[in-house]
Amino acid sequence: MNEFPDTPGRRGDDERMRRLLDAAVSDVEPSEALGSIHARTKVSSMQRKRSWVLGAGAAVVATAATVAAVTVLSDSTTPGGGGDAGPAASAGTSQSPHESKQPTEKPSPTQKPSGKESAAPAVQTVPVYYVGDTSRGPRLYREFHRVDLVDGDPVTTALAEAVSTDPTDPDYRTDWPEGVSAAVVDAPPSDVITIDVQTSGSPLRERPGGMSQEEAEIAVEQLIYTAQAAKQSRDPVQFFLNGGRTDTLLGVPVSEPLAQGDATDVLAQVWIIEPSEGAEVTAPFEVSGLAAAFEANVQWELMQGDRVVKRGFTTAEECCTMAPYSFKIKDVPAGDYTLVVHDSDPSGGEGFAPWQDTKRVTVLP
Amino acid sequence: MSTAPRWDADTAVDELYAAHYRQLVRLSVLLVHDVETAEEVVQDSFVAMHDRWRKLRDPDKGLAYLRQTVVNRSRSVLRHRGVQARHTPPVLPDVRGADEEVLVAERRKVVLDALRELPGRQREVLALRYYLDLSEADIAEVLGISRGAVKSHASRGVAALRHLLEDAS
Repeated sequence: MNEFPDTPGRRGDDERMRRLLDAAVSDVEPSEALGSIHARTKVSSMQRKRSWVLGAGAAVVATAATVAAVTVLSDSTTPGGGGDAGPAASAGTSQSPHESKQPTEKPSPTQKPSGKESAAPAVQTVPVYYVGDTSRGPRLYREFHRVDLVDGDPVTTALAEAVSTDPTDPDYRTDWPEGVSAAVVDAPPSDVITIDVQTSGSPLRERPGGMSQEEAEIAVEQLIYTAQAAKQSRDPVQFFLNGGRTDTLLGVPVSEPLAQGDATDVLAQVWIIEPSEGAEVTAPFEVSGLAAAFEANVQWELMQGDRVVKRGFTTAEECCTMAPYSFKIKDVPAGDYTLVVHDSDPSGGEGFAPWQDTKRVTVLP
Repeated sequence: MSTAPRWDADTAVDELYAAHYRQLVRLSVLLVHDVETAEEVVQDSFVAMHDRWRKLRDPDKGLAYLRQTVVNRSRSVLRHRGVQARHTPPVLPDVRGADEEVLVAERRKVVLDALRELPGRQREVLALRYYLDLSEADIAEVLGISRGAVKSHASRGVAALRHLLEDAS
């Protein structure tokens, strides 16, 4: 059936290509969609001529179903590590009798809805945003922390890390004062994440002395980004202060639910994700991260003190928006290094210093 | 398969969904890179096939139509995204799920990333050839291009992908 030229060398290549492409999507498990397809085909075949109007209506239904599904997901998700609940478990979740039958779970292997009956693992990896100083002021970087769950809730867990736990990377910090805690509280509406900031010490309605306005705004964004990442949702965030509504937090207006700030204003534009700070690796090792780099150029150096042991460059997937990059570092002798990843300076040295992230890594023999 | 039972449109959706939905989503992931978009593309394609069923009327034709629609719609999503990317903030917190198994994602990412760097036609030919195992003639039909073009996209695509993956390793 396959009419491509079939020489022996080529057959090996073909096999390799097949395996590669297969592996690239082998863990993609789409969520059940037959119900929503039926809902849409019913509409379109009954009212073919007006299908564009009804199509829009169907889109609204689909959106509503998604919102509901996200709620189901966050309510019933057993947070946690690696357990592959599989389709059987999703069939057990409660379903509306109508077309939006299935929770539109993300196919992340650990984010499947599963019944409450399965024991929640006590430990989970959560994303936590921290503040780092850059040439353009305080910006957010992200770490992953593997920690005991607080209140069985990954969002509260991530928030607790963000306000009161030191980041792994000593270049980062949190600007929230000591004695502050932050947790998700149940408050309507369900498509808003409500974060209650509790403080035992100084009131946090106003910006504390010694904190710049920029730091205050980034501190608020830190909790918005952390909560949304941990919930894997872009639901807006409503802040409470000590259990009640407040017009400001750290002097930042928060009376309304807030969407996350624009990534270009809030995030450091180059992150190293792997290896993490202090990681022990063996050569060759892969470095990966996200960068919104000028012309997508990502440069790196492996340093020992001031000495550059190795340098190179790679290209992020897209220019000018936070996009994945990765590269491999080979032929490195064992030892302690500082890995620096940065973008190139479009102005040739006249403008801002480049965005960068650094990690200390130990290359094992 | 001309002896196949005459399905009505709803049956066609049910049967083809059961047999091919997952594979079509995976095909679309190879083309558009992210699962959520792929699911939308494939669901839209099933709806479109349902609408056209009176003309298709045959399971094989239905499947061929689905494949073609998935490829076409994946392509137009990419085109649209190219424009949109400049205007909307990147979807950052979702780039890597909070508790996703990092390693699995990494491995998958390398290949998907490399595919993404290929010209669209090469990516489509590779996905149809190596993921769906389609013949040269079938690929030519799905993409509406000549068999010669399929052949040259395939060989250039393989070379480019190999080069990208070697760079990455």
